[in-house]
Amino acid sequence: MRRVVVMDLSRHNVLVVGDRRWFVLETAGRAELVLDSCPHRGGPLSLARLTPDGRRLACPWHGTRVGTAAVRRTALPMVRTGDEAVVVLPGVGPEVPVTARRRRVLANLPPMDPLCDKENGLTGPVNGNLTDTTAGTR
Amino acid sequence: MDALAGDPLFAGGPGVLHDENPYRRALLPDVAAEVDFSRPLTAGTLDGPAALTAHRALGTLYEAEHVLLPEAGLAGLRGDFDHFYGTALRRLREASISDLEDFAFAFLDDAVTITGNCTVEDLDAYFQHAVDEAERGDAPALLAIEAASDPAVAADTYLVQLALDGLTEASAMSRNLGGAYGPEQSALFKIFIDEFGYGVFEAKHTTIFAKMISSRAMRTHVHAYWNFYLPGPLATNNLYYYLSRDHSKFFRYAGAVTYAEAVFAPAFVKMIRTYRNIFGDDVDLHYCEEHAHIDQHHGRITREQVLLALAERHGDGVVPELMRGIAEARLVGAWFEEDTAAQIRWADRPAAYRERGEQTAGGEVLRHVELAPGHPFGTRNHAEDVVLVVARGEAELVTTPTGTPDRLRRGDAVHVPAGRVYGVRATTGECAYRVHRAATEQ
Repeated sequence: MRRVVVMDLSRHNVLVVGDRRWFVLETAGRAELVLDSCPHRGGPLSLARLTPDGRRLACPWHGTRVGTAAVRRTALPMVRTGDEAVVVLPGVGPEVPVTARRRRVLANLPPMDPLCDKENGLTGPVNGNLTDTTAGTR
Repeated sequence: MDALAGDPLFAGGPGVLHDENPYRRALLPDVAAEVDFSRPLTAGTLDGPAALTAHRALGTLYEAEHVLLPEAGLAGLRGDFDHFYGTALRRLREASISDLEDFAFAFLDDAVTITGNCTVEDLDAYFQHAVDEAERGDAPALLAIEAASDPAVAADTYLVQLALDGLTEASAMSRNLGGAYGPEQSALFKIFIDEFGYGVFEAKHTTIFAKMISSRAMRTHVHAYWNFYLPGPLATNNLYYYLSRDHSKFFRYAGAVTYAEAVFAPAFVKMIRTYRNIFGDDVDLHYCEEHAHIDQHHGRITREQVLLALAERHGDGVVPELMRGIAEARLVGAWFEEDTAAQIRWADRPAAYRERGEQTAGGEVLRHVELAPGHPFGTRNHAEDVVLVVARGEAELVTTPTGTPDRLRRGDAVHVPAGRVYGVRATTGECAYRVHRAATEQ
């Protein structure tokens, strides 16, 4: 079972599917719709900041550093044409509510200033693989 | 581009229509000289002279890789044949075609992205979505025809855009018939032989297309209406050559051709309805009826036996390219429709654009054009709104392939929106006109 939804990326950057949420992560000029959930305790990665090396997101809840490559592996199939994104939702039936929203996304801001790292308490565990987190959705 | 557009074969002639000579077509060196070919087209420059010039040239280079012979025989055209396919132009083609493709199509890299972990099932879901959307959606060009004050001329303008492919149909597809790639190759070949009428010339799609435009009293030789092809339709035609010339793009081609075959059938059903409303039984729509029928099969065959079969055989690694091909065909196909609709709407209202020209004629002079007797006729467009003002003599403004040109006298002004394609032909011995940047309306 698959469901296809269309998002206007000029207006929305978050897709809520049932009780799960995906946000638009922009990496290397590409917009990807990734799971907004830290593999540690489910914190909102959309509110994470990039680490100074630009390779990981530091979760705002416990400072868990999640590799962006691992985050990108959670991306939903998406075809972007201009501002239009056609998103394929595997395993989502017509009864599941789907909503597109606009939210503040910090994960797309430039990497943090290293001097701020300690002040933000970003010393938590590193998780580089989220595949298992999303295995049930595919 | 200077060498290509400056070649005598591409200088154009005084006639509005091109003669029965498939080797000659106007490439307008003066317009080509305005284009900065170091800056590839972007989504924002698709309707300007850069796109028109590049796609005219690119289409010419692609066609030089296929066989074109005049129906009336080569007798007086042997020299042009030898030059069109000769060493000098072949070397020029080989040296420039990849750069010109980059210029014309690199925008697709930014315009379309495929992300996420895409499987065969995701591919099929996206494909079905794209086809359903096309079936349910409006056809902008047909709506423009139906709304036109002169729907017959508007309908002819649309036929001309279809003629670009209709008179050389499936040439791009022929480039993917060779090699060895299993049952998918045979599936594509089934479609190809339908296009070619199973070897019967009377049933070949190009033949029945010619009968359709002949029933509208239009010329049937290849590129008679070269001057009236719009950037969107030129790009659409070139897209399939682009994707099939370079076999690294094979999976993109497979996605694009599957989308095209699937949306053709419902599109031709809509076209039949529009054309019957306008012409009744006075037009031969066998070509449309054939496609409305056979493309149901082609849509099914390409989906099941090409698109999904390739994905199943070669794995999820090729799925993003197949999806990209669908998205690119959808994007460029929309450009075809919107561009044609905009041209029809503009050309259908000459009085309104004359009135508007009176209001907007005060802007900076961009060009001063002298038309001497026998001056080659060519059509062009501009990247911004301009106003044409006749400075001396009399002229005809030509905006449609079959409509009556708009007669312009000294002092007359016409507003030409960005992207609209026009030509000016002197009707007195000499004529001059100015191209102004459109001023703010008063």
